[in-house]
Amino acid sequence: MEEIVLEIENLEKIYPGGVHAVRGISFNVKKGESVAIIGSSGSGKSTVLRCINRLIEPTKGTIKLNDQIVNNPLADVNEIRSKIGMVFQSFELFSHLTVLDNITLGLRHVRGLKREEAEENALKVLERVDMLDRIEAFPGNLSGGQKQRVAIARALAMHPEAILFDEPTSALDPELIGSVLQTIRSLANEGMTMVIVTHEINFARDVADRIIYMDKGIIAEQGPSKILESPKSERLKQFLSSMDEEI
Amino acid sequence: MRPWDGDSGVCIVNPENRIFSWKSIPRSSRIILITTMIIVVLITPNLAEGYYESSWEQIEKNTENNYNSAIIDENGDAWVFGDNGEIVFGEKMEQWVNFESPTNENLVTAHANNERIVAAGNNGIVIYKEYNSEEWIEIRMETQIDINSVSINSNNEIFVVSNNGEIWCFKEDNWVEIESLVSEKLNDIVFEGERGLISGSSGLILGSENNGENWEIRETPDEVTDSEIISIDFYGINRGYAITSNGEILKSTQEELTTTVGYNWYLKEIESENQSTSLDVNLTSLEVLSTTKILLSGDNGYIALSKDGGNIVTPQLLPIEGDFSINDIAMKNAFVGIIVGDNGTILYTENGGEDSAVGFEIIDLSDFSEFVDFTKDNLLEGLKATVKIVIFGILLGFFIGIALAMCKTAPTTLKQMIEGDLERTLTLFWVIIPSTIFCIRIYGLGLGILSLSGLIILFSLLNYYINKNKIEKEGFLSISIPNGYRTNLIRILGLTLLIGMPLIGKWEIKGGIELIYTALSDFYSFHLGSNTFKLSAQIAYIFAPIGDPSAFMRLILGVGVTYLGLLFLTTNGTFSKKYIPYGKLVFISLLWVIILAEIFINPNSSGDKITSWFDLGWRLFLVLIGLLVTKRILPKEIKSVLKNSNDYTLTFEPWKIRPLQVIATLYTDFFRNTPLLVQFMFIHFGLQLGKHIQNIGLDLTSDLITISSLLGPLDSLLHPIIDYISESLFGPGKRSYLSAIFALGLNSAAYQCETIRGAIAAIPSGQMEAGRSIGLTYMGTMRLIILPQAIRICIPPLGNEMVNLVLNSSLASVIAYTELTRQGKLVVAITFQIFWTWGMVMIAYFVVTWSLALLLRRLEEKTRIPGLGISGGD
Repeated sequence: MEEIVLEIENLEKIYPGGVHAVRGISFNVKKGESVAIIGSSGSGKSTVLRCINRLIEPTKGTIKLNDQIVNNPLADVNEIRSKIGMVFQSFELFSHLTVLDNITLGLRHVRGLKREEAEENALKVLERVDMLDRIEAFPGNLSGGQKQRVAIARALAMHPEAILFDEPTSALDPELIGSVLQTIRSLANEGMTMVIVTHEINFARDVADRIIYMDKGIIAEQGPSKILESPKSERLKQFLSSMDEEI
Repeated sequence: MRPWDGDSGVCIVNPENRIFSWKSIPRSSRIILITTMIIVVLITPNLAEGYYESSWEQIEKNTENNYNSAIIDENGDAWVFGDNGEIVFGEKMEQWVNFESPTNENLVTAHANNERIVAAGNNGIVIYKEYNSEEWIEIRMETQIDINSVSINSNNEIFVVSNNGEIWCFKEDNWVEIESLVSEKLNDIVFEGERGLISGSSGLILGSENNGENWEIRETPDEVTDSEIISIDFYGINRGYAITSNGEILKSTQEELTTTVGYNWYLKEIESENQSTSLDVNLTSLEVLSTTKILLSGDNGYIALSKDGGNIVTPQLLPIEGDFSINDIAMKNAFVGIIVGDNGTILYTENGGEDSAVGFEIIDLSDFSEFVDFTKDNLLEGLKATVKIVIFGILLGFFIGIALAMCKTAPTTLKQMIEGDLERTLTLFWVIIPSTIFCIRIYGLGLGILSLSGLIILFSLLNYYINKNKIEKEGFLSISIPNGYRTNLIRILGLTLLIGMPLIGKWEIKGGIELIYTALSDFYSFHLGSNTFKLSAQIAYIFAPIGDPSAFMRLILGVGVTYLGLLFLTTNGTFSKKYIPYGKLVFISLLWVIILAEIFINPNSSGDKITSWFDLGWRLFLVLIGLLVTKRILPKEIKSVLKNSNDYTLTFEPWKIRPLQVIATLYTDFFRNTPLLVQFMFIHFGLQLGKHIQNIGLDLTSDLITISSLLGPLDSLLHPIIDYISESLFGPGKRSYLSAIFALGLNSAAYQCETIRGAIAAIPSGQMEAGRSIGLTYMGTMRLIILPQAIRICIPPLGNEMVNLVLNSSLASVIAYTELTRQGKLVVAITFQIFWTWGMVMIAYFVVTWSLALLLRRLEEKTRIPGLGISGGD
């Protein structure tokens, strides 16, 4: 039996302004599986992602990480977050710290490692994302692709149970996307559990074991990546054709 | 030669080659180094101790007899009287000769007036001499009582006072006893015009307004009823002073122009003795030199001068040592005079006995180099004093500023406190706050606050250990309130906030409603509006907070607590918005005003007052009729307001209030909306903050010394260090120093808070999300990610604020802190060189401020994040 890492049940989110962003969503993510969530803007993809590590408090429903309820108000949210890595659309590297310090920060202050140990670990993950040559650089001096790879390394360094990607390539120039996608792809091959919110249909098809198509706050269609070739629902068809036009 | 990078045109300096690199010092050592430097600056004493010598000059001794009394007559000749009838004459206080005495009795008191000198002593001896006669005439009293004091009034009558409340008067060649009404020992008698005063034991003061014919008892402060008032003296028509054997100084002033001096006596709080009322010396004599200048003498060679009516009493040096008492002071004017004492001691001064600096010489102050030489010490001392308060002020301001900024940006709302953390909130309101209040009431403030922190630590530790090994944390203290009970518990909490804990005596805790009620009734008991209902009179209530600060605090606290109480009590468990139909509210309240005015004020029927039930009914009837009629003719707009009240509704989200932000806003609003100069004076003179901190510091010191004495051999090492630090921070005269630091720091904190808050707001919210997403706590993210970036952003405005703080420190001169500006004033007062002095002061300020600005500029460059922001560099 395959181990379930993330379990989302009947997730709903109503924002304080009254916007009903997510209207009851359920899905599971198995260990080593990579799930891509696609959908047009405003469909609630990012909200779902942020609810998983409670950067946004869900209104209803339960989220479980390894059978532990995440959105119990009494749960230790910091410990849970340290087990779920997150990569942001706009990188959000700590701009006052060098690449190396960006990665060791969490290890030292959340995991409680000594500086030497933390740096050792950091160098390992930086090697995985191919950023060893820029460890003393500040984020302001890196290109977008490099920044995103450092951000991935920062999430990886915490040895998370799963990593959430929030549109990791949307803020990048087309020629820089390649290296980031390559990194994520290699992570998938290594068996990292991932939830990826993305606009890159080809990338989703390539990397994801499963695709979830969201529309207006609900899951309109989900299944293995071949659903992109033969979409059942009308809405996914429309979405895919509009994406083709863009390209 | 430095290596040259030809391509970029930049000179490369290898950090390894630098002689000294700040970074090469380990971090911990750096912190210790900086801290040591700050401490050294702070505790170095302000003024280098100068060398002074006494300006009292000893007259050659002729006898070992004690001299008891001295006077200086109108010719400037001195007369000294002593034991065994000894009389010494000092012609112009230059030639001193023994004068033949008509008696062997001890002479203890003397007085000169109207060209007549009189002396008196034991066994009823009284002798007198006219100026133009060489002969002493003895007018011994038959009763042979011991005379304590003698005085001549304006009618040339001789008065003496003695033990057992006896007052005798020598007039028309006869001794007459005057009724005194008392039986206490009388110590001193003095006349000023027709007015006379007598002082005695048990805090007694008698007064007379008719040349001593009748005497009445004057009221003295309760504190001196056990003291013996040794001496009493007038200065002119508007000041009186008296001293007691316990070292207290009593003062009398004219309360109004119509009354005369000598009626109202109050005990002087002596500032130089930490506001104590006693000098801790057995005082023996008093001489008033001007309205505010007094000389005091006492046992063990004590002689002291006060130039400000007893606020600061400065003991003076004497040229001789020994265990002798100074018995009397006689001054020709405010500067020239003598003191006499035991063993034939006579000392003479020409400048009021003020200690004179050794090596004082008159210099040519019109020569700039000599002027600088003369004033540089003063100005450098001032500069050092300025730097001291500035360093402390900046540190205090910065840390409070950061704390306030974090309070203002803290996201904790009431909803979170109640919904997410109900267990902790209940513990806070039901356990921690009540027990702290009880502890404060029983053990005092210090221990109370200590117990609060103790309780919080205890609960946190308990929480930590209970939850330690559990994967799923089960709430605070492992208590998790089931959902069904939460709403009701919130309501009960609201109720307790409203009504408090109505227990008995010490155990009572007032609720919000009672706090507001008592505060308001305290305010109205001032009757500030002079009982009129004019707005212009009622405006006086804006000053009520200062009339009763505790009531004001209660009011603010009460409003806060009542708000919380009402909110919690009326919750339905959803923490939703509230809608206030203000259109309807305004209309209904207007209606009620009209109805009530119609019933109670409308003078239609029988005057203003309601005379009977019938009258009330009749008025109500009229109002109802009026309302019915009005309703038909109401304008359309008002009708629509009543119908569609939703169009006129305010939305209000009571659960979104952030308590920490409210507190921080109150603080910054107060400090930013009052002038710093007034804050200085209010904090130092009004709150006497310096005094309170000094007392706390001294208490702490004595505790530390007790602890150190338990350490055995270490004590001899620690004790002097503790003493030195305590002396330099909390010693006498450090009050204005402490007040200045706090006034500057607290004020600057309010401004720095806003600057830092702005910088925090400028950090993208994604940085907080990123920090939280790797598992850092809110505070951890603040400390490690947000603040380091925010502080970098706000270095330029913070630098502005710090430079301002240095310049604002010149205001500390108004609270008598001798910093640069005050030293400048003093130098101007001595030298009258206005241009040079203020120019030099200005340069000194510029040097400090400019180096601070340079330092900050360097800091800004050093901490700049490469590749971030538009800063003119690359």
